[in-house]
Amino acid sequence: MAWELMTEKWSGEVSTVTIGATKEEGGTRSHTLKIGGEKSLPCLFQEGNIPHEPKVAFEIWDIAPLDWPAELMLPYAETLRDPLEWANKCVRDYKAQGLCIRLQGAHPDFGDKSPEEEAKLIRKLLKEVSVPLIILGCGDDAKDNLLLPACSEAAKGERCLIGCAVQDNYKTIATSLLADGHNIIAESPIDINIAKQLNILISDMGLPLERIVMNPTIGALGYGLEYAYSIMERSRLAALSGDKTVASPFICFVAQESWRAKEAKNENSPEQGVIWEALTATALIQAGADLLIMRHPKAIQKVNQYIANLFGGK
Amino acid sequence: MNKYKVTFYPDNKTVEVAKDTTILSAALACGVYIKSDCAGDGVCGRCKVIVKKGEVLTQPTGLISVDEKKKHIYLACATTIHSDVEVEVPPESRMELHSGFKGIYAESEEIESKNPLSSDKIFKHSPLSTKLYLQLPVPSLNDNISDLDRLFRAIRKAQGLPVMQTGLSNIRQLGELLRDSDWKVTVTLGKRNDTVEIVLVEPGDTSNKNFGICFDIGTTTISGQLVDLNSKKILGTKATYNKQASFGSDVITRIIYAHQDEGMERLHSAVTQTLNQMINELTVENNINLNDVTCIVCTGNTTMIHLLLKLDPAYIRREPYIPTANFLPVLRASEAGIIINPRGLLSCVPGVSSYVGGDTTSGVLSSCLYKEKNLSILIDIGTNGEIALGNEDFLVACAASAGPAFEGSGVRSGMRASSGAIQKVKIDPKNFQVSCSTIADTKPRGICGSGYIDLIAAMLDAGVIDRSGKIKLENHKRVRISETGKEFVVVFKEEADAAEDIIINEADIENLKRAKAAIYSATAILVKHMNFELQDVKKIFIAGGFGTSLDIDSAIKIGLLPELDRKKFVFIGNSALSGARQMLLSAQATKAAEEIARKITYFELSVDPGYMDEYMAALFFPHTDLNRFKRQGR
Repeated sequence: MAWELMTEKWSGEVSTVTIGATKEEGGTRSHTLKIGGEKSLPCLFQEGNIPHEPKVAFEIWDIAPLDWPAELMLPYAETLRDPLEWANKCVRDYKAQGLCIRLQGAHPDFGDKSPEEEAKLIRKLLKEVSVPLIILGCGDDAKDNLLLPACSEAAKGERCLIGCAVQDNYKTIATSLLADGHNIIAESPIDINIAKQLNILISDMGLPLERIVMNPTIGALGYGLEYAYSIMERSRLAALSGDKTVASPFICFVAQESWRAKEAKNENSPEQGVIWEALTATALIQAGADLLIMRHPKAIQKVNQYIANLFGGK
Repeated sequence: MNKYKVTFYPDNKTVEVAKDTTILSAALACGVYIKSDCAGDGVCGRCKVIVKKGEVLTQPTGLISVDEKKKHIYLACATTIHSDVEVEVPPESRMELHSGFKGIYAESEEIESKNPLSSDKIFKHSPLSTKLYLQLPVPSLNDNISDLDRLFRAIRKAQGLPVMQTGLSNIRQLGELLRDSDWKVTVTLGKRNDTVEIVLVEPGDTSNKNFGICFDIGTTTISGQLVDLNSKKILGTKATYNKQASFGSDVITRIIYAHQDEGMERLHSAVTQTLNQMINELTVENNINLNDVTCIVCTGNTTMIHLLLKLDPAYIRREPYIPTANFLPVLRASEAGIIINPRGLLSCVPGVSSYVGGDTTSGVLSSCLYKEKNLSILIDIGTNGEIALGNEDFLVACAASAGPAFEGSGVRSGMRASSGAIQKVKIDPKNFQVSCSTIADTKPRGICGSGYIDLIAAMLDAGVIDRSGKIKLENHKRVRISETGKEFVVVFKEEADAAEDIIINEADIENLKRAKAAIYSATAILVKHMNFELQDVKKIFIAGGFGTSLDIDSAIKIGLLPELDRKKFVFIGNSALSGARQMLLSAQATKAAEEIARKITYFELSVDPGYMDEYMAALFFPHTDLNRFKRQGR
């Protein structure tokens, strides 16, 4: 007897966000990263089209990180001191498709670099490498309001992804990204309502919903991953049911969380950190993550392999 | 034991207290009212004071910033006195300076109910107490029954009343009184549930002087109405803040406070003082002798009625939330400390449960919700918001703690709905010019609940605030940053009848947002719980003492009310007070109220797993789910 697979019919879809602009599009990137566009839950290829597989971008910093575990510093070694060399290593040696630069050095407690200095770095970085760029502020609201507009201006036309905008601090960032043609990261604290509200607030400023990427805030494996998972699942279900205000793709800061886990820092078992980062990433891919920000080349390799296995055979 | 002197400024009041007394207790002891929403638990941060001189000890708290510490700002409830001290109470922490308190005992404007079923007309006139003038036949050898029997006989003859009783004190004076008054007396007959009592015997004919007062005792506001029981005429209406507010802004903190030393005594005397002052004002203004006020009807939430009658409210708070009494027999007003005719009666509107009280019953009574053919809803917007859903076949109700913002309390420039209160606001989206109208068209003194609803809607429209309630307008003379955060000037003091500018700040907007979220989500959950859709509701009665009018469009724009056809909404003002008045004037209304209270099924929101989700989603203007407010959307 013939049988038919029960499928869910969804009325909505996740919006597609393009990061990076090629020459034809007015930028200087060698390629673009397209994320989102899903018409079904992750990997349910029969239920709806999943046009773009999840992407991984390498996280680099503008200053040498001091508290990274030795295992994580090892692959980058001396290049950690120079963001341009570090970027080059990621692209040249580890074949990074995208880079995510965190401007940690601008934080008042970590060097307090000026917005002009950081904008200069962004310009140099865009010349040095040709992959699409994600730019992160330092996390201090007041400083980010000066820093991010300066970087946005410096990267004008390159269609970067810049953030993070939060509920109490989104106006200045959204205004400048709107003017310079970038995409925005909207961060909410594992809260579907705030995620939605922030998307509405940003789009009320004139930045279209199609240029927003949501950072749902995650926890690492063993550190609240399941909370992030269920929030991501809930918002994705709402998006697929037709709620445009939560239909943005997800960006997940995987490395930042997973390398903080004490299991990841176990010096007797250096491989464990890599595994922790890869496992956190793969779980989030199943929750619907579209863009993963990771650090260790080996973990990234494993995750890319996993993505190829899952999405390659579709 | 050491005694220290504490002086409070700007009141310039001094009190002597024992060492280790908190500043808050010292303030209360000398009649300085400091705001305290948590009743001294050290968690609300509203009782900040400046210690100008002297030694104090304070508990560590996160509610005082480093800057504030430098300025010698302390929490009055967490700081104890260790020498003679001088304390300055800043305007933010004062209750009297709060513009709302200027409106004390002001006439409150009545809203005419537009409801065609206006229930005033459907009940037969038979007041809680009536006066009857009697000319008794003079006793003789042939007609030699006792004085009391003679009185009973005359009353039965006149009114055919069955069971009768009267107090010993009346009987004691009867012999002399009847003879001195030449057998012409007026008896006051009170209905005490199923029996009739001779409340009072007076010489001569005073039957044209019979008055009653009904009260709605709200957590934040108390309103009262003086009624001529013969003509049914309303002689005066008053509203004022409940003095209990200085012991906590919501019912839970008051219940907790009732269990502190003398807590119950203080709460009880605060409410009776408020009632007695209102009775005094109402009677003096209308030239009425206190003795001619023969009965009182009180409605209010269950906790308020418990505190009025000094019933222990402790079990209202504890699972499974049981009140001491919902249905109370008719009592003597003096037993509760209410000063009218010493033998006058007090009747309380029957309640439903711990959190749905007599105010809901009287609201359902006066709105005639219980007679509606179609599904209807009554939303009573107050500190304790009550929502009743139903029709002639069923009634279900729930309570939502909304806070006092819509009653003009706990918000910077808030005031009660009395003359001078801003109730309509327009903002020009180009130059942000504000135009507003006030109750009684006087110079603005503050903003009342309906004014806040209109103001937030106007600020959203003009782009002064974003949908989360943050002020986004910049570089304009009306926007400034004060110690309490960003604020928007509604009326500059030069154009107002106020000592300072009338403003709204982000904290106010946050309070109002929480209040509207509580009301909206309770409404949505109640409807959902009964397996209805909001669209199924055919009529929505909006009640509350927040203004003389309510702009339904504005209320929908901010997400306080669901987006439904405007024609479905009926604004009925203080429906609880109207219901109490009906009970004052008719025994039929009393019977109806008892039936309503028995019929209402109580729905406990806190046990519904969806409530918190609903509430969180409603913390946005108009709502996180824009699909529910399509016309307000983008």
